[in-house]
Formats: sequence, structure tokens, C-alpha cells
Amino acid sequence: MVRLLRKRVLRVTGRLIAALSLIAAITFVLYRLLHVNATTAGLCYLVAILIIATSGGLIESTIASVAAMLLLNYFFLPPVGTLTIADPQNWVALFAFLATSLTASQLSARAKRRTKEALDRQHEIERLYSLSRALLLTDATKPMPQQVVQQIGQAFRFPAVTLYDRHRDEVYRAGEDNTPELKGKLREVALRSTVFLDSESGLTITPVRLGGRPIGSLAIRGSSLSDAALQSLLNLVAIGLERALSQEAVNRAEVARQSEELKSTLLDAIAHEFKTPLTSIKAVTTDLLSDPGHTLPQHQRELITIAVEGTDRLSRLVTDAIQLARIEGGKFTLHREIHFPSSLISAALRQMKPLMDGREITVSAPDDLPLVWVDAELIQMVITHLLDNAWKYSPPGSPISIGARTSEGRVMICVADQGRGIAEEEQSRIFDKFYRGKGEQNLKSTGMGLAIAREIMDAHGEQIGVVSKPGEGSEFCFSLPIARRGGNE
Amino acid sequence: MSAGRILVIDDDPQIRRAMRASLTARDYQVTDARTGEEGLEKLRSSGYDLVLLDMNMPGMGGIETCRLIRSGSEVAIIMLTVSNSEKDKVGALDAGADDYVTKPFSMPELLARIRATLRRLPQPPDNTDLKQLASQGVEIDLASRQITVRGRTSHLTAKEFDLLSYLLARPNKTITHRELLQAVWGPDYGDELEYLRVFVNRLRKKIEPDPSKPQFVITEAWAGYRFHLPKQGSNQSV
Repeated sequence: MVRLLRKRVLRVTGRLIAALSLIAAITFVLYRLLHVNATTAGLCYLVAILIIATSGGLIESTIASVAAMLLLNYFFLPPVGTLTIADPQNWVALFAFLATSLTASQLSARAKRRTKEALDRQHEIERLYSLSRALLLTDATKPMPQQVVQQIGQAFRFPAVTLYDRHRDEVYRAGEDNTPELKGKLREVALRSTVFLDSESGLTITPVRLGGRPIGSLAIRGSSLSDAALQSLLNLVAIGLERALSQEAVNRAEVARQSEELKSTLLDAIAHEFKTPLTSIKAVTTDLLSDPGHTLPQHQRELITIAVEGTDRLSRLVTDAIQLARIEGGKFTLHREIHFPSSLISAALRQMKPLMDGREITVSAPDDLPLVWVDAELIQMVITHLLDNAWKYSPPGSPISIGARTSEGRVMICVADQGRGIAEEEQSRIFDKFYRGKGEQNLKSTGMGLAIAREIMDAHGEQIGVVSKPGEGSEFCFSLPIARRGGNE
Repeated sequence: MSAGRILVIDDDPQIRRAMRASLTARDYQVTDARTGEEGLEKLRSSGYDLVLLDMNMPGMGGIETCRLIRSGSEVAIIMLTVSNSEKDKVGALDAGADDYVTKPFSMPELLARIRATLRRLPQPPDNTDLKQLASQGVEIDLASRQITVRGRTSHLTAKEFDLLSYLLARPNKTITHRELLQAVWGPDYGDELEYLRVFVNRLRKKIEPDPSKPQFVITEAWAGYRFHLPKQGSNQSV
């Protein structure tokens, strides 16, 4: 800082000596060689002062003006050779000369300053433009904030630039800055959203805001930027950081989608591998059992029946386990659309009826039910699991009912059976994986149906529950969101 | 006397063995192929009545194979699928299959499906209806199951043809889903609405001048389908 000041003093002194030399040279020429009158001398001095003012600064031209005034008085105004003035008219002329030369100095210095400012603005704009261009062409493989500080350092030739990204809580540097606790200061500025200035070390820390929300801060050493340019720079930084964030979000979503796709492909392959041998076993055993020639002895028929039932059970286990793996943890995409609750029920019934030994199923769904906003395939799966459950845990021949109604702004679908009910202490556990009920030896159940149903309801952000009294049967109900006019998204 | 010639296309050798044994015992003539490509090659020598086609095969998948078979032949196709999802079922039917069976299936069920698919409607539609239809710009050749609409000729598969025949024999009358399914596929059917949806779409593509604005095969919402045939002598133009 001190060195800079000394340099400036030297430069001004040099120019001052040159200016005074010019005035002295003019005096010599006019007084000794040409012997001109006072008016001509005054005009010549004025021209010299104008030249000094346009090429130098205000200080030099002011001092030169005073010097010229004294010289004019001493050498050209009578009585010549003294600083006294005899004729009062000459006082007026002398002061007119001083005022004119000072005003000319001022005007010329101001014009020079304006020109310099305009040039500075132009440079700033050029640098901002080159920065914005560079920020648009960043390399997607490198961290964006690091590239932002490097580009700022390059474009504006600051000795040191440091950027604090509040989202990542990271500091990115370009150039050497050994200010202690810089990260702490940066964080404070971002948090308080106020400017920090240290004129002694030439450090400026300004908050970076986007839509009024502070998203980081920027420290610049040796900044000579105008406020407007600094503001534009900060806006560019904010946009750059925001772009980096949204790019990251897109990348994350893409990775999630790919991993979901991979999982789905893997599960499809597993399903195929398990079901292929099951298919030949089932085809062969059922063909044997069909016994077109009625030649099968009773005990062989019984043995093959056991094999067929084992195959069916294994097949159900594979289906349920894969369904559960597909939806477990909620990491799958819902394909929500607008549906009639009654068509969801009838689709599930179509699928289940052939498997339920002609059990009586009553359906009660009013015609004026509102439309629901759901993934139809998954909701049908919930209904089929509940129907399957009701069928397995109630005596053969007892009726099953399925109904839909509106309740508290949602559509409730309920499946009720007349089985032996579920004890209260068990009711909270039946939705757990592989739980099959106390002392329950129901070989048809895989213990996964209700867990699958709950996962699906969780993914929809809806509830599923059971009301049951031992001896009086059970009723499973779940809620569905009503479709809003114009879609729910 | 053979009950029919069946081509089994499946990559699993055990399934091919089981099919061959069970189907041969029911007097079907069975040929098998390990891949879609091999199946297409074997289908070139005509004379097959039905193809049992696995959906998940390495190389050319079942859906693609089905589409390629359909592009050059009206042979009956039953697809064997692992997935029970609506999307896969409709995908199979859309690709041109006549029916599908979900793996693992019981042999009696598969035999019933094969019989239903090979089953034909007894009576062709009345000829007067065809003349009436011809005046609307649609010509049907019963013998070759060919249909010509505005100079564009296409072949109907057996099931598409039966569906059209059944509707055409009862013009301007709404036929319920259940009645149509049982008449065309057989008494074991009745709830498979997706079959009708896909087959009616396939039919419309071949018979309607503008399939998106059907003027012959009309959907009666929630009820069934109706074949619209303008009264004879009316001056309605197409």
C-alpha cells in the first residue's frame, strides 16, 4: 500500500517538474527573445496551462496556473521586476487570467476523469462478458464452483478470489490468499448477508444471493470494480452456482432411474430363471393328474397332487418375493393416472375369481364415487392380496364382501371376511414381512401379501389398516386420494 | 389323423420336452425351435396350425418374433408369459397373439386354450350383408379371409375373422362383451375385456377407413360392441 502511494507521488512530482519547466521556458522565450506585451504573454501562458491540464492532472495544472500568474505579474505587468501592480486595471487582468487558467484546468481534468471512467466501465463490461461466456462453457466433469473462481481470477486479473458455496459448505480458491480464518469470515458473510470490507488488506467479501436468498459469498483481494460491475459479477456467480446445483439434481435423478431400471431388469431375470423350471414341473404334474385314461391308482394321484400343490406354493412364493423386492423401500416410480374405483375393483375380481373356488363375493360400490389418482396396477395388486387373504383365512363357503365409499375427502376400499378374526395383540404385526399369524399353518399363505399391500399404500402416501374381533371376522380398509380437476401434479 | 400341427418356440429344453410329450399324446404333431429366428425359419414351410411362443427368449424376444410371424402369416399364436402384468398381456395381444398363458400353467388349462384358439365359428355371415358392406367401400373375401378397404388389402387372422363374422351376422345390435368372448374364444372366457379391446383395435385398423373414427365397429361404453351397417337403399355416403 505504502509502495503504491510512493509511486504515485513520484509520478506526480515528475509531471510537476515538467510543467514548471514548460512555464519557465515560455517565460524565457517571451521575456528575453521576443519582448512581447502583457496581453500576448497572458495568452501564451493560458495555452501552456491548457496543454498541461490535458496531458497531466489537476494538481500540476493548478500549481502551474499559480506559477504562471506570479511570472506574468513579475515579468510583464508594470512595474516590471516587482510583484507589485500599479494600475488597478492590471489587478483585474491578473485575476481574470488566474480564474480562466484554473477553470480550464478543472474542466480538462474532469473530462479526463470521465474518459478514464468510461474506459474502466468498458473494460469491466468486456471482462463480465468474457466471464459469462466462460461460465456457459464450463466442463461438466469438474466441480462448477472451482471453475467459477478460476474464471473470475482469469477474467478480472484479481490477485486472489475465494468462493464459499453454502450448499456444499466448501471453499474454492484461485490465487494465493493467506488471510487467517477466511472460511469463517466467508461463512459469516453468507449467513448474515452483509458486506465485509477490510481496506487495510484490500479484501472485500460480499454475499452471493439468488432471489434474495444467500447461497454463498465471494472474497476478492485488490478489487477495483464499480458497484454495478460487482453486482453483475455476483449475479453471474449466483447463476453459475444454481446451475451447478440443478445439474447435480438431474445427475442424481438419472443415477436413481438407472439403478431402478437395473434392479427391475435383474428381478425380471430372476423371475424368469425360477419360473422356467417351475413351468415344466407344473405342466408335467398337472398333465399326469389329468389322467385322460383313468388309469392312475389312488395313492399315485395323491402323491402327484402333493407335487402340484408344492409347485403352486413355490410359484406363489417367487411371485410375492419378487413383487416385494420390486417395491420394498419405496424406491420405484408410481405411474399414477385417474381411475374409477369400481373399475379397479372389477379388474382385481376378474383376476382373482377363477382362483377362489367359486366363493361368493359381494361388491358394493355406489355409482357416484369420485375418481381416484393412483397407480392402477399396484392398487389392483393390493385388492387381489386382500381378497386372497380373506379367502385363505376364512372357512370355505363363507361370503367375502368388498366395498368402496367416500370418507373425509378420500375413497375407502374395504374387504371383509367372516373368518375367525385376529387377536388385538396380533393386529399390529400382520403387516410385517413373513408374519403368518400365531399357530397358523395355512400353507397357501406366503406371509408377504399384506407387507406388499402396505408398501404400495406407503408409496401412495395413504393408509391401510384392519378392524377385527376374534370370532367375528376381519375388515381390511385402505384409502385412496381423490383425483383433482386438472390433475394432481 | 392329427389334431393339428403345433410349433413350440421356447429356449428351455425341459419345457420343449414336456410340451412335446403332452401334446403328442393328444394327437398333435409337434415341432420345436429354440429361438425366435429358428422358429421363423421353420414357419416358412407352411402347414402349422398354431405356434406356442415363449415371451422371454434370448436374442429376438417373443414380442418381436410374434410381430414378424404376424407380418407374413395368419397362423394362430399363443404366447407364454412369465409376468402377470396387464402391460405384458396387452403387449402380447398387440403384437398379434391370439391368446396368452401365464407361466407356470397347468397342462389342462393350456390344452383348453389351444382348443379355444383352434376352434372356428360354424357359420360364415350371410352374403347379403357382404354386398351391403361392399356398397360402403369394404370388400370381404370369405374364402381367403381378405379384406379390401379403399384399395388397401389386408388379411384377417382366424380370430379377427371370427370376431368380425359374429358381429357382421348381427348388424346394428349391441353384443355384450361376455357374449362375444364366449362365442369367439369359448365358454371358459367372459371376463377378458383386454382381449376384446385389442382385437377390436386390430380389426378397426384393417376394416375402418379411419381407425380413429370408427364407423363400422362401434364401442358401446360399459356394454359391448355393435356393427353399424346402414339400411339398404339409404343414400348415406361414406
